Amino acid sequence: MSEMTEQPEPVAYRSRRRALVRVAVPIAVVAAVGAGIGLVPALASDNGPSLPSVTAQQLVAKALGSDTQALSGTVQVKADLGVPTQLLGLAGGAAGSRKAGGADPTAKLTALLGGQHTLQVAVDGPDHQRVGLVEDLAGYELVHNGADVWAWDSSSNEAQHLKAPQDAAGRAAARQPSGPVSGLPVTPQEAAGRFLAMSAGTTSVTVDGTTTVAGRSAYRLVVKPLQKGSTIGQVRIAVDAATGVPLSVQAMAAAGGTALDVHFSSVSFAKPAASAFVFTVPKGAKVTEHGADGARAGKGAPAPEPAGTAPRPKVVGEGWTSVVEAALPTGGPASGDAHGGKGATGALGSLSMLKGFGKQVTGGTLISTKVLNVLVTDDGRVFAGAVTLPVLQSAAGVK
Amino acid sequence: MSQAEAGAAGAVAARGAVPGATAPPAVPRVTAAGYAALFVSELGLVFRRARTMALLGILAALPVLIGVVVRLRTGGARGEGPAFIAQVTQNGLFLVFTALAVALPVFLPMTVGVVAGDAVAGEASGGTLRYLLVAPAGRTRLLAAKFCAALAYCLVATGVIALSALATGAALFPLGEVTLLSGDTISAGDALLRALLVALVVAASLGGLVAIGLFVSTLTTSGIAAMATTVVLVITVQILDTFPQLEAVQPYLFTHRWLSFSDLLRQPMHWDNVLADLGLQAVYAAVFGSAAWARFTSRDVTG
Repeated sequence: MSEMTEQPEPVAYRSRRRALVRVAVPIAVVAAVGAGIGLVPALASDNGPSLPSVTAQQLVAKALGSDTQALSGTVQVKADLGVPTQLLGLAGGAAGSRKAGGADPTAKLTALLGGQHTLQVAVDGPDHQRVGLVEDLAGYELVHNGADVWAWDSSSNEAQHLKAPQDAAGRAAARQPSGPVSGLPVTPQEAAGRFLAMSAGTTSVTVDGTTTVAGRSAYRLVVKPLQKGSTIGQVRIAVDAATGVPLSVQAMAAAGGTALDVHFSSVSFAKPAASAFVFTVPKGAKVTEHGADGARAGKGAPAPEPAGTAPRPKVVGEGWTSVVEAALPTGGPASGDAHGGKGATGALGSLSMLKGFGKQVTGGTLISTKVLNVLVTDDGRVFAGAVTLPVLQSAAGVK
Repeated sequence: MSQAEAGAAGAVAARGAVPGATAPPAVPRVTAAGYAALFVSELGLVFRRARTMALLGILAALPVLIGVVVRLRTGGARGEGPAFIAQVTQNGLFLVFTALAVALPVFLPMTVGVVAGDAVAGEASGGTLRYLLVAPAGRTRLLAAKFCAALAYCLVATGVIALSALATGAALFPLGEVTLLSGDTISAGDALLRALLVALVVAASLGGLVAIGLFVSTLTTSGIAAMATTVVLVITVQILDTFPQLEAVQPYLFTHRWLSFSDLLRQPMHWDNVLADLGLQAVYAAVFGSAAWARFTSRDVTG
């Protein structure tokens, strides 16, 4: 410290040298920070933990047969399907706009198809699930507790309440972990289940080393379509070595790039407290009630999907090249609600709007994204799938 | 130790522009007491300024303004404007969170920029810095004391907003149980604890800005220039934060996660973004703090 007191004499030389030495300190700090940002993820992903080797079949059996019933954690969802955001808005809007308040799950979860989102999930068996969408200065909650399904939106303070069916079909629909009110995969388990359940004839599954996800050791499964015509190149799934729970799912587009990345950033396999699944209506919240059969008790808001009675789009083909067929107005691939609210004008409006996004091809309009391709035929049918255009055209019977 | 205290006392004396107090020539030892004296002297410098009091007054008036406007304009048509503001009508406690969310993007950084930007440059232009450095307190410790005093200002400024919002909310709206962003309801006492936690996080979120302001302050001898540069920087960075094209860079902007304090209003509290924010502030404080140190301890003081 002594040299810091003012020295009137040979200032010029000494202070310049001192300045150079001093400047090295912030540069060293910057370098250390930069190295930390660059190196830590690289080190973490490079060398996976050493685990006993398993075959792909064993691993798939382990993942699908995992009997882990309870977990909680934080899930990061990053989707880059290349879908125009206006189209997402259209899909969400068509499904949920007809007076459905801010608490409509379909509209909310459609937003997950674009951008990066954080979810807090808690699962305890097939009857108790909770998903919280973490938004800036706002939150959105889906709570499934036995016979009750609640959806609540903090920004509008509106809630939707659904009495879940107690029959077998309803339970089966609710069995998908933490996807109680949506058709979209919001957790790694759900997403992995979809890819792993593809039939063996259409899929190649290999084990590709080990990795670490959310601080846990995991095997890495690589799932590739064998069929021609899929726009998905491969899917990487990290399966927890201890429990068999899928911890992360990455779908890579055939054209390159990650289309979907769903992974736990933190996870606990402790049983969540029962209070986590209790939802009491906040003071002043507006509640819309729905019947058990999906009938609209409220003012025309569409029933959430798990009731299982909403008409679903037809599926053409199988495995990786399956194509979803629907009729306008549908609001796109994510929604199956085809109740014509406005009739012909709505259909024409949607058709012309869709055509604005797409380009003309034989048989209709193609809306092409990184992974998802949608063909809107001139007679108002919609074919969508993670497949190339010829597959869509043959499904539509064009040519 | 007594020498160090004498040095600090000399620093205090120098602040009053009394150059008569010649500093002891001996080398001061680094002691906690000596540093504390320097820190207290810096605190006095910051908080005795009329300007600081005026800034705090503006910050205190902000929640009152929001509260009165919301109170007058609420004709049953809720749901207009940001959700936070709509919630205030049902619970005055929410005014604390609303006021902090409103003040954080502009008002708070503006006042922090004034305080931090003026810390060194203001004294250089005022001519008091040279006397301060004659005292053997050490430039490093002087800078550290200024940094801590500016951080203390952040705490006080955040506290002023929170307390003013609490008082206004209690006066104009009913108090009671608070609905969190996750739909859970907590008691008013728990909500007060969370408000305290949120205020602390908000104050800490300004740490990176304090270091930047201090660094800018060591670059110039014009207090006005340093303050203006710091404030312009905050606004520029926040504008950059809105461009989708800069998505790759945005997580590293020091303002990017400022509003993550709302994640503490969930059940369970979601700490990921808050911790990322605090870590980012620590990195900015380390980088710009060391840059300020490098500049300040090697520059010629002419002012």
